[in-house]
Amino acid sequence: MTTLTDDIKDSPSVPIRPAARMVAGVKVFGKGETEVLALNGVDAQFAAGQFTAVMGPSGSGKSTMLHCLAGLDRLTSGQVLIGDIDLQSLSDKEMTIMRREHIGFVFQAFNLVPTLTAGENIVLPLTLGGRKPDREWVEGLARALGVEHRLAHRPSELSGGQQQRVSMVRALVTRPDLLFADEPTGNLDSKAANELLVQIRGAVDDYNQSVVMVTHDARAASFADRVLFLVDGSVVRELNYPTTDSILDAIRELEE
Amino acid sequence: MWRITLKGVFAHKLRYALTALAVILGVSFMAGTLVLTDTIGRTFDGLFTDIYHSTDAVVRGQQSFNPSGAFIDQRPLISATLAAKVRDVPGVRAVGLVISGYAQLVARDGKPIGNPASGPPTIGEAWVNEPALNPLRLLAGGHAPRAANDVVIDKRSASVGHYAVGDRVTVLSKLAPAAYVISGIATWGSVDSPLGATITVFTPATAARVLGTPGMVNEIDVAGVSGVDQDQLVARIDAALRGSRVEVVSGLSITQQGQKTVHDALGFFNTFLLIFALIALFVGSFLIFNTFTIIVAQRIRELALLRAVGASRRQVTGSVLGEALCIGLFASAIGLAVGVGLAAGLKAGLKALGIDIPASGLVVAPRTIVVAIAVGTLVTMVSAFLPARRAARVPPVAAMQDVIVEPQSPSSTRALVGVLVGVAGVAALLVGLFTKVAGRMGFVGGGAAVTFLSIAILGPLIARPVSRLIGSPMAWRSVTGKLAQENAVRNPARTSSTAAALMIGVALVTLMTIVASSTKASINTIIDSSMRADYVVSSGDVTGVTGGLSPSLQRQLSQLPQVATALGIRSGIVQINGATTTVKAANPRGILDLFNIGLEKGDVASMGPHDIAVSSQVATGRHLSLGSTVSVTFSSTGRRLFTVRAIYRTREVAGDYFLPLAAAQANFTQQLDVQDYVQLAPGVSATVGRRAIDAVLASYPTATLLDQAQYKQQQFKQIDQVLNLVYGLLALAVLIALIGIANTLALSTYERTRELGLLRAVGMTRGQLRASVRKESLIISLLGSAEGLIVGSLFGWAMVRALGSQGITELVFPVGQLLIVAALAGVAGIVAALGPGRRAARIDVLRAIAAE
Repeated sequence: MTTLTDDIKDSPSVPIRPAARMVAGVKVFGKGETEVLALNGVDAQFAAGQFTAVMGPSGSGKSTMLHCLAGLDRLTSGQVLIGDIDLQSLSDKEMTIMRREHIGFVFQAFNLVPTLTAGENIVLPLTLGGRKPDREWVEGLARALGVEHRLAHRPSELSGGQQQRVSMVRALVTRPDLLFADEPTGNLDSKAANELLVQIRGAVDDYNQSVVMVTHDARAASFADRVLFLVDGSVVRELNYPTTDSILDAIRELEE
Repeated sequence: MWRITLKGVFAHKLRYALTALAVILGVSFMAGTLVLTDTIGRTFDGLFTDIYHSTDAVVRGQQSFNPSGAFIDQRPLISATLAAKVRDVPGVRAVGLVISGYAQLVARDGKPIGNPASGPPTIGEAWVNEPALNPLRLLAGGHAPRAANDVVIDKRSASVGHYAVGDRVTVLSKLAPAAYVISGIATWGSVDSPLGATITVFTPATAARVLGTPGMVNEIDVAGVSGVDQDQLVARIDAALRGSRVEVVSGLSITQQGQKTVHDALGFFNTFLLIFALIALFVGSFLIFNTFTIIVAQRIRELALLRAVGASRRQVTGSVLGEALCIGLFASAIGLAVGVGLAAGLKAGLKALGIDIPASGLVVAPRTIVVAIAVGTLVTMVSAFLPARRAARVPPVAAMQDVIVEPQSPSSTRALVGVLVGVAGVAALLVGLFTKVAGRMGFVGGGAAVTFLSIAILGPLIARPVSRLIGSPMAWRSVTGKLAQENAVRNPARTSSTAAALMIGVALVTLMTIVASSTKASINTIIDSSMRADYVVSSGDVTGVTGGLSPSLQRQLSQLPQVATALGIRSGIVQINGATTTVKAANPRGILDLFNIGLEKGDVASMGPHDIAVSSQVATGRHLSLGSTVSVTFSSTGRRLFTVRAIYRTREVAGDYFLPLAAAQANFTQQLDVQDYVQLAPGVSATVGRRAIDAVLASYPTATLLDQAQYKQQQFKQIDQVLNLVYGLLALAVLIALIGIANTLALSTYERTRELGLLRAVGMTRGQLRASVRKESLIISLLGSAEGLIVGSLFGWAMVRALGSQGITELVFPVGQLLIVAALAGVAGIVAALGPGRRAARIDVLRAIAAE
């Protein structure tokens, strides 16, 4: 398999500012007795060109943080900045366009519209925006991720690994400021998971893609440049240049 | 199991809401019809009981046959002298001489009060001095008619025409229009006028001259001494009058006869409306079928779990059918209540139109309740049966697996079954249309329903390619269109049964439109080819039974120097060769000047009072030639023999049999002209001629002067009125079909929550999402209307061909109108998508992608 470097030499210039920031992020679900504080004043920065993993136990708020950062949900209070745009100030339509043009997603499952072919799924953010896909760019990405021969197939005809790689192509096709991945390897076997993580790492190294990935898998997190640990809605620890072992140690320490 | 069933209904109440609505609409239409007709029926029962309240016996002329469909009995008059003999019969307390006929009041502005052609009858009567036999009650300040030019009028006409006692009023009758003095105003029992009729009451002598024949009466009403047995009284009177051509009936049986006549007429009305209620329920059954199919598919895991923990197949089927039972009962009960409300509204509406139904309450018969609940529930359960069976086939293992609810590809069995059902349906339809088998209408209706079912069965086979084709212009360079197209074809069975519901409505609209256009074109052709007259004078009443034009009008028109020929046409109901038919009659001398009847043999102008002309079709069918004898039975004068003197081709103008005026005068009960035809004298311009005719018509306010173009327009207008009525009644079926589209879209988008969330996440705006749902709806509705246009065109073609012998000789496909129908269906489809589209757009992105 080729790496992204071969095809994406002339990638666009790298943003210098932090790609995204959360300032005093608070998110409350429910009301009254059922009230749950999912994010309890989170401050976090995500540097451009950096691969950040977010870890934490179930209910720690890691997915909520990702959703708020990605413009899929709104904070109860605080700020989310993508570049210098404050997501809190955007209308639903502006937020939608924001997601479409500046943000890429890979979810754990159900990433692709079943009625559209892989190729149509890939260019979906462009066609929704009324833009014409750059064919060379799309084909280059598809080749880099090894799905160039599967573009005419429907998602139901693809393996789980292929589906996730098609989703990666879709997420990268708009040259997003940020790529968000929510347990992207959660449904994959270890071989397919490894391949996908190598591809994400490649996008960061070779193309300066900023990536934020939520995972509970220490091995997956070890591909990142930095790991944030969340517990009860707060960032409790940060680990730079992690390895699987250092991550597992950190988790053990946090659990004590 | 029942608890699970009930919980199932409540858990999915929103998803069942539109299903229930469809049942409610259909059932309420049905219940409303039954309640309204029952209410009208009871009102008439009351009216007849009131009229004959003190009447113990009635003496009237014998009728040779009962002209079915005619509200007013056509009986020969009887001699007034019989009254003296009746009065002498022991047990008779009083007799009343009844004379009635056509009389029409004219309001101060010169316009007629009431129009028998489109509303309640306009009746003239003789005043009956015996109060027990006279339902009229004079208001204070007036008196019964005494002078020859006195009249009493009903209170409603007095208030409509702003008349008071002492005013002069013009009355139209078979004689020339004349002025009378209002001597009194009366109520009819307790109501201002029975059902809005206008009633003019003359002295007996005037009535005999104006309405009937001097010395003759329509019937003699008899009041017996108190305690007399009606049957004994009838027997005694009968004995006293032996030898006269009369019949004597008891007050009770005449009440029942009157009631029966009304109930028979209401029966037609009832059946007519119930047909549309059934169409609505038939369309609704598609919606119910869809809902259950979709819900069963969505609950596949739940059903598998039930099976896994030990529910039998029968129990699973039972649980789904149980839900159908709950919904059916619930919706039918609401539908019944809405129907009663609807009937109350219609009753009020009729009152606003001047047709007051004085019955105090609505009649909700036990039959109405049983039928409404049973039909609504049964339709729901039958429609849910197949989905319930499918639910039972869910394997228990499905609870543990990710079952992909991919639609199975259409099978060849389906194609075979669909084609066989279709052939059966079309065969039944053609048998009904083109043969004379008993119960033809049943064959036509059943055949059409079965044909619709066959299209619904075959639908999934064509839904995929056709929806793709319809969707392709939308999908071109539009991702929302592309998604809509893909969604429409992803489950062809669902798309096609949703479209099929709309197909039914569109097909029936198409059928009616084609039949109406063809009828208009045929009328156009006939008038162009056969009518030589410059003008038609029409009273609006084409039957000649309840009203018409005074023959004096024809005489006045003939005398105008500007007029070459003026001809009055009469119409009567007779029996020929065992069949009851309407025959026309006119002065034979004018006919060929005014009409091209395609004379083949013989001569019309020389026809005498005992001659008849027949159409070439009848002549061939009955082997008649010039000089043959034809027997005609008149309801009042009985059997008469006529000699064939002419044979003509154009039966659309003259009908199958045509009598000379003299025969009509001798045998018809109604001596009014239905229409007058006028030919201007040579050299008289239309303006001059029209002015001269209008001057005569000024004293005949019911008469309208029409040239050929206007005459056509008048005929077209009548067709359009019927067409609009049917459109209005079909609107309910179309509405239910649109609810069906909204229902399918709502359930489908619910099913696609995650997919929609994903689309929203990767950048689809709410507007785009709505557009996508809208386009999907458009594809479904265009599929339905395309099917409907094709099926409806075939039905229309068959129907027009079948009506060829009824004078519909032209077949017209009104392409423009049919395209408008298709466009309207498309617009309606877009409207149907509004609700589901809005709901889909409101889907919370997070909930959707976080699900499971």
